[in-house]
Amino acid sequence: MATAMETIKKKTVRINGCVASAQAAKYADVDVIAAYPIRPYTATMMALAQMVANGELDAEYIVADSEHSQLSIAHGASSSGARVFTGSSGVGVQFAYELYSPISGSRMPVQMMIADRTLDPPGDFGSEHTDALSTRDMGWLMGWSCDAQEAFDNHLMAFRIGEDRRVLLPQMVCQDGFFVSHITTDVELPDPGQVKEFLPPYKHPYPLDPRRPVSHGPQIMPEQGPPLQLERARAMEGCMPVIEEIHEEFARIFGRRYDAWLEEYKTDDAEIVFFLQGGHAVTARFAINHMREKGMKVGMVRLRTIRPYPTERVCETLSRFKVVGVIETNMGLGSVSSGGSLYAEAAAALYESPKRPLIMSFMAGMGGEAIVLKEFYWMAQKMIDAQKRGKIEKRTHWVGFEE
Amino acid sequence: MSTKGTRIPEWLTVPFAGITPAPTQEKGQDLFPTGNWRSIRPVYRDKLPPCNNACGTNEKIQGYLDLVKRGKYLDAYALIKEDMPFPSVTGRVCYHPCETACNRGQYDEAISIRAVERFLGDLGQALQRDVVKPGKPNGKKVAVVGSGPAGHSAAYQLARLGYKVTILEKSPKAGGLNRGGIPDWVLPQDVLDREIERLIELGIAIKTNTEVGKDVSWDSLKKDYDAVVLAVGLTEPNSVRAEGENKQGVIYGLPFLRDIGMGTSKVKLGARVAVIGGGNTAIDCAREALRQGAVEVTMITVEGNPKEMPCVPEDLHDMLEEGVELIHGKAVTAVLGNGRVEALELHPAKFSGAINASPITINKDVAAEKFAVDNVIIAVGQHASLAWLPAEFKTERGSIKIDRFGRLGDTNFFAAGDIVQLGSGQPLMVVNAVGDGKRVAFNLDKALRGEALEPRKIAIDVIVDLNRMNMTYFPHFPRVKQDMLNPTSRKKTQDEVILAFTEEQAVEEAGRCFSCGTCNACDNCYLVCPEPCIARSDRSNGLYKILVDYCKGCRVCIEECPTGCLEGVPELDFDAGVVRMDTAFAISPGLHGRQAQELANLASRPAKEL
Repeated sequence: MATAMETIKKKTVRINGCVASAQAAKYADVDVIAAYPIRPYTATMMALAQMVANGELDAEYIVADSEHSQLSIAHGASSSGARVFTGSSGVGVQFAYELYSPISGSRMPVQMMIADRTLDPPGDFGSEHTDALSTRDMGWLMGWSCDAQEAFDNHLMAFRIGEDRRVLLPQMVCQDGFFVSHITTDVELPDPGQVKEFLPPYKHPYPLDPRRPVSHGPQIMPEQGPPLQLERARAMEGCMPVIEEIHEEFARIFGRRYDAWLEEYKTDDAEIVFFLQGGHAVTARFAINHMREKGMKVGMVRLRTIRPYPTERVCETLSRFKVVGVIETNMGLGSVSSGGSLYAEAAAALYESPKRPLIMSFMAGMGGEAIVLKEFYWMAQKMIDAQKRGKIEKRTHWVGFEE
Repeated sequence: MSTKGTRIPEWLTVPFAGITPAPTQEKGQDLFPTGNWRSIRPVYRDKLPPCNNACGTNEKIQGYLDLVKRGKYLDAYALIKEDMPFPSVTGRVCYHPCETACNRGQYDEAISIRAVERFLGDLGQALQRDVVKPGKPNGKKVAVVGSGPAGHSAAYQLARLGYKVTILEKSPKAGGLNRGGIPDWVLPQDVLDREIERLIELGIAIKTNTEVGKDVSWDSLKKDYDAVVLAVGLTEPNSVRAEGENKQGVIYGLPFLRDIGMGTSKVKLGARVAVIGGGNTAIDCAREALRQGAVEVTMITVEGNPKEMPCVPEDLHDMLEEGVELIHGKAVTAVLGNGRVEALELHPAKFSGAINASPITINKDVAAEKFAVDNVIIAVGQHASLAWLPAEFKTERGSIKIDRFGRLGDTNFFAAGDIVQLGSGQPLMVVNAVGDGKRVAFNLDKALRGEALEPRKIAIDVIVDLNRMNMTYFPHFPRVKQDMLNPTSRKKTQDEVILAFTEEQAVEEAGRCFSCGTCNACDNCYLVCPEPCIARSDRSNGLYKILVDYCKGCRVCIEECPTGCLEGVPELDFDAGVVRMDTAFAISPGLHGRQAQELANLASRPAKEL
């Protein structure tokens, strides 16, 4: 499905995260789009609808009657061998929950864009990562972008990774609602030739095709479950070198290099680091610069890919620092830290380290609130106090609600 | 790396993501043996449809209706011929107990089975050569005495078994009751002639004008043949025991019809004719009387109303349409007239309920009523003429004494038809005589082979409860009616009153059959099975197979079986083909690996054309 873009060269446009995602789907020349609106990701589907309507993109655009149907359509379309793009936000992500395991279990590389939204109640449009994070163990590749450009790039890379014959897994490409989805920034759109070179046409090995019939998803015996689950685990672990390889390839073709797992910011001599994912990295960088001017040895480690979890890299990296402050932006009610879920995984990754840093969790950026400079200072102070004391005061702090 | 060092044993190797090669008709999905989830197993278990059961000769009615439905007329004809030598005859004359029993009658209207039988019978008549062939000659000779329905049937089955059969018939023409008891406008002579020809084609010799007791004796039968079937029927009319019954103009029903049938009738009827009796023969006589020139025909019955008359309601209806009058609750007590009947004396009468002795109570306290007539036809049943039979084989009611196998003592004589059924409680009708002749032929064969004889089988599990079927599959649909001649014109001719089905009508009517309790290869089970656990080698009866290694016992096929043939049988009733939970693993080691290989090879196989 050739687009009219062939002759247009690389260009910079000013778009928000939602539209960047839509542009990525267009550059990936998706075959099927399964849509159902919910804020804040709606703008992505609006943009794609316009592209399909005006002939910019030749794709089946299917409006479902719910997120459950939306993901079912995506599953079916992918089973037939189509490249499928879908997306959702907040409670919409939850409503489709049943389909996450079947899609990954049948190894269908559906791509789903998430613009985070706080889960109800009551209705809150603001970004919180709990929606997508709640599906983190369902066998989907998952990671957060911190700005529109990265979102565009992550979408393209996720298609390439997920559709690789060595991987064949669905991908959740997440961005914070509003902080990324609705903030307009400069995004460099590539030359279609570059995309063509990077992303070959998708071909599933055993699609549903009457000419070569196969059965997908038959019933199995209990003892046939474990080997299939083991194969899924192998797929998730086995894709890690592929992810790194494709990030390299992306850098070669597009000239933008991302570390597949972690972004480090001013960590060379840092003693305390913020550990976070998503859009708050942008404000964190600003805060770190501000603190650095005051001589504070502070830095940031941003988790770019949470599934598969880069356990060894997190362990090695975070072990270099004295104190790690995890900024959650998600809810893990009653969890090990009684805070968010990022802490638990980071702490578990660090457990085998001979040089464990102190680690604490900050409930910040919740409900879509921005984390302001004053709060970064407050968190840094807690970390410095703990460093001095050699001991944390408590595992989780609710930022803005404590002295 | 949690998966480092993991190994999946060969017998649990699964294809990629559990994606499997397409199921095949032979093997189903052939991968995951989920059959051990099952507590109920679907089993195809054909029941006896009520029509087959009610038929005197147990024709496979559901079977041939189904074949007609599919346009396989010749197969249907061959199927009917297994049990019925002359479907062209019974397709016209049968009192169709099958239709009375038909489950469709509970739902809307019974299937017009007789009309479809006639369609097949006429098709068979038109064949250059019949589908039935004589059996390999076994060198044994059998005499069949009588060529009516029972004798015809016995001779036919014996010829098929390889016997050299000779029919002895006392009349100048073969056919017995079929010829002499059934009017031409019900059964044209040429139809019967063709069926008699079919007997001769089977190698059966027919000796007419040969009467047992006159031309052949008991002893000569015994000497000349290995075995004998006595199917002599009831040839002698009963009298009403009225004063003056011997007057001129008094005729008996059976001889009246028989002489017309044989072409030897000299009867000239007057304008006013009374028919005494309320059965089917009386009805035939009344209607024949119209055709023989009578103007006013009145039927006089002891029965108090039409519903009590021992006859087929349709025939009664057709008779009334032709203008015959009915007088109920009267018995003839005297025939009046000077040498020749001029009037009848009638008294009120009713059935007493006594069996065999004097079943009628006549009230002579009331003054007699005179009924002026020119002729009387008495049709109140018939009895046998058995002077030639050794006394030890006679019953007190004048029939032949047989054991439950149809055999006369320890002789090689067997008897069948009305001659043994009289007073047995079984209605005397052609199809019952045919069935009797068939069963006796099979027992005769067994006797000569020295095998154990078989009594008449009692049907088990006749399906009569519509709840055992899935009626949602059967829309209400009216019975296809046979066309008939107009009553005013037909009553003066010998033209057949009821007209044949066209092919379209026969197929439409056969299509109404529920196939009660019997698999008719509708494919519903095959289609509704949520997984392909039902294999089908061909779309014809009984060739579905439940793949018990996979069937989870969800019951969908059972519930959705329109005919009620599929049953859920508790798994504990089986000791084979069960995969139990405690032994659950791949059916055979390496199956999964083989499937994985098959899947891997799929891409290299040429894509089938869509």
